[in-house]
Amino acid sequence: MARFKYNKAAKPLESTVETGIGTSALDLKTIAKAIPCQEACPAKTNVPAYIEAIARGEDDKAYRINQEDNIFPGVLGRICTRVCEDACRHKWTNVEGPVQICHLKRYAADNIKEKQSAMPPWFGPTGKKIMVIGAGPAGLSAARDLSRMGHQVTVVEKAPAPGGMLVDGIPAFRLPRDIVSAEIALIEQGGVEIRTDVHVTQTMVDDYCNAYDAVLLAAGTTVTNSIAIPGAEDRQISGLDFMRGYNRGEVTAVRGNVVVVGGGFTAVDCARAARRVGEKDALVSIAYRRTEASMAADKNEFQAMAEEEIAIRTLLSPLRFELNDRGAGTLVLQRNLVADGTLGVKAKIVPLEGSEVRIPCDTLIVAIGQKRDESLLPFGVDSEEDGKTSKPGLFVSGDFKGGSADVISAVASGKNVARLMDEYLMGKRRLMRGVKYEVTDCDGETGRYRDHDIQFPLPMPMAPVAQRFENNAEVETGFTQLIAQNAAARCYLCHYKFEIDQDKCIHCNWCIEASPRDCIKKAARIFYDADGFPTKVFEAERNQDATYIYIDNDECIRCGKCLRVCPTEAIRMRKLEAGDCVKCDD
Amino acid sequence: MPKNLIFKRRSEDEDIKASGMYLDFDEMGKKGVMSSADSSIAKWYGIYKSRQPGQHMARIVIPGGVVTSEQAKNIAAVSEKYGQGIINVTTRQALQFHWLKVPNLADVMRELFEYGNSTRHGCGDVTRNVTACPLAETCPAARINARKWARKTADVLGAQRDLDDLPRKFKINYSGCRADCAQPHINCVGLSGVVYKGQPGFKVVIGGGMGWKPFVAQPLFGFIPEASAVDVCRAVALLFREHGDRFNRAKSRLKFVVHRNGIDFCRDVVLQNLLSEGKSQEGFVVEDIDDEGTSYEERPLLQDTPKGTDGLFTVRVIIPKGELPFRKFYELAKLSEQYGDQRLYTSNRQNLEMHGVESRDVSNLKFAIHNLGFETDGSFSLRDIVTCVGTTYCPKAVTETRVLFDRIHRLVSRDTYRGILSSGIINITGCPNSCSPYRIADIGFRGMRIREEEGSVEGYEVLLGGSQTSFGEKLGEFKLCDCEEVVTLVLDAFMMVRRDDEFLTRCVQRVGIEYFRRAVYGEV
Ligand SMILES: Cc1cc2nc3c(=O)[nH]c(=O)nc-3n(C[C@H](O)[C@H](O)[C@H](O)COP(=O)(O)OP(=O)(O)OC[C@H]3O[C@@H](n4cnc5c(N)ncnc54)[C@H](O)[C@@H]3O)c2cc1C
Ligand code: HEM
Ligand code: SF4
Ligand code: SF4
Ligand code: SF4
Ligand code: SF4
Repeated sequence: MARFKYNKAAKPLESTVETGIGTSALDLKTIAKAIPCQEACPAKTNVPAYIEAIARGEDDKAYRINQEDNIFPGVLGRICTRVCEDACRHKWTNVEGPVQICHLKRYAADNIKEKQSAMPPWFGPTGKKIMVIGAGPAGLSAARDLSRMGHQVTVVEKAPAPGGMLVDGIPAFRLPRDIVSAEIALIEQGGVEIRTDVHVTQTMVDDYCNAYDAVLLAAGTTVTNSIAIPGAEDRQISGLDFMRGYNRGEVTAVRGNVVVVGGGFTAVDCARAARRVGEKDALVSIAYRRTEASMAADKNEFQAMAEEEIAIRTLLSPLRFELNDRGAGTLVLQRNLVADGTLGVKAKIVPLEGSEVRIPCDTLIVAIGQKRDESLLPFGVDSEEDGKTSKPGLFVSGDFKGGSADVISAVASGKNVARLMDEYLMGKRRLMRGVKYEVTDCDGETGRYRDHDIQFPLPMPMAPVAQRFENNAEVETGFTQLIAQNAAARCYLCHYKFEIDQDKCIHCNWCIEASPRDCIKKAARIFYDADGFPTKVFEAERNQDATYIYIDNDECIRCGKCLRVCPTEAIRMRKLEAGDCVKCDD
Repeated sequence: MPKNLIFKRRSEDEDIKASGMYLDFDEMGKKGVMSSADSSIAKWYGIYKSRQPGQHMARIVIPGGVVTSEQAKNIAAVSEKYGQGIINVTTRQALQFHWLKVPNLADVMRELFEYGNSTRHGCGDVTRNVTACPLAETCPAARINARKWARKTADVLGAQRDLDDLPRKFKINYSGCRADCAQPHINCVGLSGVVYKGQPGFKVVIGGGMGWKPFVAQPLFGFIPEASAVDVCRAVALLFREHGDRFNRAKSRLKFVVHRNGIDFCRDVVLQNLLSEGKSQEGFVVEDIDDEGTSYEERPLLQDTPKGTDGLFTVRVIIPKGELPFRKFYELAKLSEQYGDQRLYTSNRQNLEMHGVESRDVSNLKFAIHNLGFETDGSFSLRDIVTCVGTTYCPKAVTETRVLFDRIHRLVSRDTYRGILSSGIINITGCPNSCSPYRIADIGFRGMRIREEEGSVEGYEVLLGGSQTSFGEKLGEFKLCDCEEVVTLVLDAFMMVRRDDEFLTRCVQRVGIEYFRRAVYGEV
């Protein structure tokens, strides 16, 4: 037996490979923890990579990085629901709120210098033909990726222009149409054929299923919900119809005082659109049964609505509509109360019996959601799990599959179903989600410092109210480069991961001394799940109890100090990049 | 408002320096606290934080490694009055003492200054204590009096305000001959006396250094006339000032400048610097030259009681761990008045020396020194172990180096090893900063903690066969409790193959590290 060969606790491993691509559950868990915004994004956008590009002044590159995961950077940079921002590391490491990920996305899209081209294909032509029904974000996302996989894709669309709710729902003052059409043009350039003005029916779906190798139903949710408001049976307008009319230039005026019932995207847009085509000095109100926290509007939009003098009335449910002898209408509503102990989006409401609130109302718009047109689904389809229906070759995605959600979910849904369809068509998974690891040699210089954390996020500049009403002008005017780089510098660049090689570490604790926060821990024990992913760290107080000196990725702000101070070069910084990789081995 | 968005920024220390380098120690004393920015600047005043909160160390700069007996007594008195009366001799020939509190720092400096003792530039990003080989004036091998040039360099460079803010510390040393007792190869600038075409002058090497990333210095000039020595040191300092990394302090030192840019680039800059300041380059030779001086020993410091060219003797005082109480230091100063040249000399083995001792006084002096509890013989032997302070004072330390010192000292003092005592030196350092240069010793220890099944224990990385110009090779990593056994195995293996008076390092170079690894780890 050899002397002086000591038994040591095993080294924690957080990836299956040093450099190169790892595709195991461990790799995916590691990147999920390292880059919380990317994990939160339904489309898994590589956020830190594009923010780093913006910080370095490489706007075109930033756009390209976005395009990889998401066909609509310019669009989503304006109207995304920003789940990523809720997950951003800044939410728990400082008090100035998350990185303005979404505004940055828009900045890059608005400032591209070179003409963009379609994304390159992953695979050569397969000879397979695919029909996609619905040219909304879900259908188009699936179409682009299927076409990159080498399939021949046709999209049919009922409306006169592609885009789905991006053009029929969301108004131009939030999303200028040239942005939508430019990004759709890139998809067409990639080989996707879009046919508009095709109203698909159930029999046509059946026919497509016979004629094509695979069919995707991404027809969104077009059937509007309605409620019975006594007295208003024949005068309520559906919010979706109103927006479609407004967007197509068919609705150019509304009469008198307007009340919009609802609190979702449509309700908010209806109120703002009504303000733009409505009578001067008319009252425009939103009446919503829940609280503001549950409304589909962000801080900027609330501010914009205040400036546009839209009254937001919450905790109100309609009771009846009354018309007086002079023809002036009133919507009568009942109050709701928030149950004690509940707050925010999850607040529980209970009606306050006997209460009444009256709001002047000549035009009543009801925007309380929509559902899909069930009649499109062929007979006999009894399951749609993950987007794959019980009818071979027929898939569903987007709002049509899961009910009204948002654009980024539709994009993600389209991406995911494209991979399922490809697997169905080719008999195997050809694209794998993997993590690319790269060992860096830049001394842990991520380019950011602790100082960058004290920069205040600057607000999105907005057009003055007077200008907004001319030509349906866009309200949010976008970041300048200075503001954008300022915002980008806040990002911790979470795609850089600092790690300690336990066999090189001598437990000098210098990294702990140098660290700006409680990011490096003395660990007595580390517990792992079945995939080998560390789930729990028992911290040690004393040196003799410390088995490992361990970097807690959740707390690391990528300052690089530890790496630079480590005297044994035990700390390295790897760059992590998650994405689709072509699986070579079968 | 937006802060600056520069992607690469200078280090925090550079920011602190830029915001002003003056410290009012009296005012600080009244407040009783030193901020962390203040403590960065305090280094320029020779004040360093100790491991113990609220405690500080003062480092007295001793250019050329010599103090008068009076200065020594002053140091003893101040250390007793404000500290705990324990004095440390450092490997760069300075003296320092600990346990100082903020309210006393101003008085400490003032009282030291009474006798010309100064802590200024003891630490900080400046030219540090300029060192010299200890025998300097009277060494039979010396081509030049190294001490004279060390002191002159310290005086001139120390007075040049444009060298006050270097990227990091800057270390210069002088040796009297190419036996290189002052260790030129592990300093920023090392000058060694040579004789060329009948002229005394120096060979110059730059860019050496220990620390976490060691480099052997590279030859800048094969020969420069002695009169150009200070000019060249300044020209190198300017090279460092302009090209040192001010972003990453861990990579600031001159050794990285030389490593990154190459010695030829550095030489061009140095020559350019000389030219632009109108300094002579006459007689400079780039290539290595044949030294015409007398022969010298491989390890001159091994001699006990060497006799100088003036016919007088040097008596050494071996200071274990380089640490001694103020009273003994005071007594040694007195002994130098009685028997020596009224001066105490410091050496890079953390020992003291008395020069100018008459042959008839040698035994009396030694007797007196032995009475104080110190040995006088065995300099540069296995028992002359150099250890850094370790966890006793140093905030960076990983291990308690003195525990290992005691164990190894006891071990090598055994009769078994009497025959090989002069075969090597042992250096022990508590962390990779290598305050005790463990890579150049025959046996080097560097502190670390070793991970166990659960928890960790103190241990050492052990190197064998180091020298100034070729660093030791790694034997392995061992827990503290195994270190004595490892040294025993190494020395026993060495004794089996040693040829004549071979040094351990030479032996390792001859038979290879594998032989020793096998001896330690057993057959594999
Ligand atoms: C007014 C409004 C504002 C919104 N604002 C936001 C917002 O700010 N942020 C956000 O993230 N989300 C917003 N949304 C939601 C978002 O637009 C949708 O969730 C998203 O567009 C769903 O994408 P999809 O592709 O699944 O469906 P859709 O976008 O609805 O696309 C479906 C497409 O299928 C077509 N189609 C339907 N039936 C047929 C048929 N029978 N034959 C042929 N074609 C057919 C439709 O014409 C449509 O083009 C908003 C929605 C509305 C209505
Ligand atoms: C008390 C706390 C001390 C601290 C915090 C400290 C810090 C350091 C650091 C950071 C270095 C590395 C320099 C570098 O390569 O960049 C270093 C090197 C060194 N220190 Fe110390 N030190 C301390 C005590 C000492 C003592 C007591 C001595 C002398 C006995 C000493 C002598 C040296 C020497 C000789 C070097 C090597 C210089 C080189 O690399 O060229 N230090 N020290
Ligand atoms: S697309 Fe939306 S969810 Fe994804 S990163 Fe961007 S803003 Fe976040
Ligand atoms: S700091 Fe940057 S990379 Fe990290 S979660 Fe936030 S946006 Fe994403
Ligand atoms: S880079 Fe290192 S020191 Fe900086 S926050 Fe991360 S773990 Fe801490
Ligand atoms: S600085 Fe390096 S060696 Fe020291 S504890 Fe940290 S990782 Fe380990």
